[in-house]
Amino acid sequence: MRTGWLKSVSKYSWIGYTAARSEWAYSAANVSRIIFMATVLYVFMRLWSVVYEGAGVERLGGLTEKQMLWYLVATESIIMSMPRLWYEVDHEVRTGAVAVQLIRPLSYIGAHFGRSTGERLVRFAINLVMGSLIATLFAGPIAFSLSGLAMFAMVLPMAFIIDFFGAMLVGLCAFWLESTQGIALIYSRLMMLLGGLMVPLEVYPDSVQPILRALPFAAILNAPGRMLVAPTFALFVQCLGLQALCLVVYGFGVFALHRYALRRVFVNGG
Amino acid sequence: MNRGVEIRDLRKKFALVRWQGFRRCVKHVTAVDGITLDVPAGQCVAFIGPNGAGKSTTIKILTGILHPSSGEVKVLGFTPWSERRKLAQHVGAVFGQRSQLWYHLPPNDTFELIARIYGLERGLYQQTRDALVDRFALGPLMDTPVRKLSLGQRMRAEVAASLLHRPKVLFLDEPTIGLDAIARQELRDLVREWNAREGITVFLTSHDAGDIEHVAGRVVVINHGRVVVDGPVAEVRRRYVSTRILRAQFQDPPRAVDVPGCVMRSQSAYEWVMEIDVTVTPVQEAIARLVEAGPIADIAVEDPPLERVITRIYREHAP
Repeated sequence: MRTGWLKSVSKYSWIGYTAARSEWAYSAANVSRIIFMATVLYVFMRLWSVVYEGAGVERLGGLTEKQMLWYLVATESIIMSMPRLWYEVDHEVRTGAVAVQLIRPLSYIGAHFGRSTGERLVRFAINLVMGSLIATLFAGPIAFSLSGLAMFAMVLPMAFIIDFFGAMLVGLCAFWLESTQGIALIYSRLMMLLGGLMVPLEVYPDSVQPILRALPFAAILNAPGRMLVAPTFALFVQCLGLQALCLVVYGFGVFALHRYALRRVFVNGG
Repeated sequence: MNRGVEIRDLRKKFALVRWQGFRRCVKHVTAVDGITLDVPAGQCVAFIGPNGAGKSTTIKILTGILHPSSGEVKVLGFTPWSERRKLAQHVGAVFGQRSQLWYHLPPNDTFELIARIYGLERGLYQQTRDALVDRFALGPLMDTPVRKLSLGQRMRAEVAASLLHRPKVLFLDEPTIGLDAIARQELRDLVREWNAREGITVFLTSHDAGDIEHVAGRVVVINHGRVVVDGPVAEVRRRYVSTRILRAQFQDPPRAVDVPGCVMRSQSAYEWVMEIDVTVTPVQEAIARLVEAGPIADIAVEDPPLERVITRIYREHAP
C-alpha cells in the first residue's frame, strides 16, 4: 500500500521535474516574461510613488512605499508564473489529445498538477529573483524576518494549489462549452481586480474588504503578498484558514467535475 | 485460445444536444453498431474505414477512454473502461498527430519519464531502451531536443517511446501521416519487425493503403459502425477487385489484338500495361492473346493497388 503511494508520488514528481526542465530549456519565453515583468514593476513603482506623494502619507493599507513595491514583486511573480493550464485542458478536450493522457496509468488531474507545478516553480523562481533585483535596485531592500519568510513559504504552496484547482475548473468547462476562453478571461480579470494583484486588499474601502478577503482570489495573491512584506501571526492564521477552506471547496469541485466530465468524453478524429 | 482482443456486439451511441431557441433537442447518433471481433494475441490488424465510420470510437473504447452503450470487450482479459489504469500498463499507443514527446527536451528525458510513469524496473527499462535505441537508430538523436528532429526521426522516437514499457497491445493511429516515402517505409518495417520479435498485437488505423499492405496481415473494414469486411489483406484484395494488371514487354512492336474485358492503362512502342477483368477473360487466355500480338520479352501479372480495393469497399458500403 505504502509502496503504491510512494510510486504515485514518484511518478507525479518526475512529471514535475521534467516539466521544470522543459520550462528551463525554453529560454525565449523566460526572457520575454522577465522583460514584461520588469516593465510592469517599473510602471507601478512610479505610479505608487505618485500616489504616496499625492496622498502625503507614509503608509497605505498598512504598507510603506518600499513594502508596496515588494508586495507587487510577490503578487506579480505569482500571477505571471501560472502556466496557461485552462488553455491546455481546453485544447486537449477539443482536439482529442486528451486521449494521449487517458491511455496512460496516470490520473488526469495528477498529471496536470505535476506538470503545472514543475513549470510554475521555475517561472516563479525566475520572476522572484528578477523582481527582487528590480525592487532592490529601484526601491532598496526591506527587512525580512525569518518567521515571516517561514509563513510566506507555507502560504505560497497553498496559493499555488488553489490557483491550479481554479484554472483546472475553468479548463474542465471545455467538456460542456465550445471554448473556455471567455470564462478564463473573466476569471483572470477577477483574480487581478479582486485578488489584490496591483492594489492590496487593505487599500480597498472598509465595506468591501471582508467580502474580498473571503474570496479565493485573496488566498492566491493577497495572502502570500502580505506574508512576504508585513507578516503577522494573526494574519497568517487567517490566511491559512481561508486557504484550507478554498482548497476543500475547489478541490471537491475539480474532482467532481472531472468525474462527471470523463463520462462526456467524445473523442474525435483518426 | 490466447486472445488479445475480444469484442462482442459492441455498440456506442452519442447523444447530441442542440438548442432550438428554448427547446432542447436530443439527437442520438450511432457510432458503433454491433461490432463483434476477435484478434488473437500477436496479430497485426489494420482497422480501417472512411471518416466517421466509427473506428476511432472503437479504438477509444478498447483503450478504456470511452464507455460503450452496450456490448462486451476484453483486451488482454481486462474490461477497458472499468480497468483502464490496469490495462494502461499493458497497452501502448501512437497517435500520428499527437505527440507524447516533450518538445523542448531530448527524447531521453521523455523515455526516463515514461519509465517512471509505468514504474519500470531499472534494469529492464535500460535493457529495453537500449534495444529500441539500437533498432530504431535513435543513438545520435537521444540527446537532441525534439524540436530539432525531423518529422521522421520524431516519429521513430515516438513509436520507440510507446514500446518502452513492453506493451502487449499497440494502437497505431495514422502513424505515418506527413512522413516522406523513406521515413514511412522505415517506420512500417520497424513496426512489423517489432510485432514479429515481441509478439505484440498491433491495431493499426490508417488511411494510407501502403501502411496496411506493409504492416498488417489482416484488414477489418468498418463503415457506419459495422464490420463490413474482415479477412487477410491479400484475400480481401482478390475478393473485391476482379481485375488484374498485365504488364507485357515485347521484343518487336506488337500488333493490335482484341482482348475482351481489357482496358489499356498505358502503351509505348514495346510495352503495354493493361487491366483485365478476369470474369470476362481469364488471365491465361489474356496472356495467350498477347502472345499473338508479338514475341514477348517479359510479362508480369499484378494485383490492383490496395487503394482501389479500399475505395471500392467504401463505395459498395456507402449509404
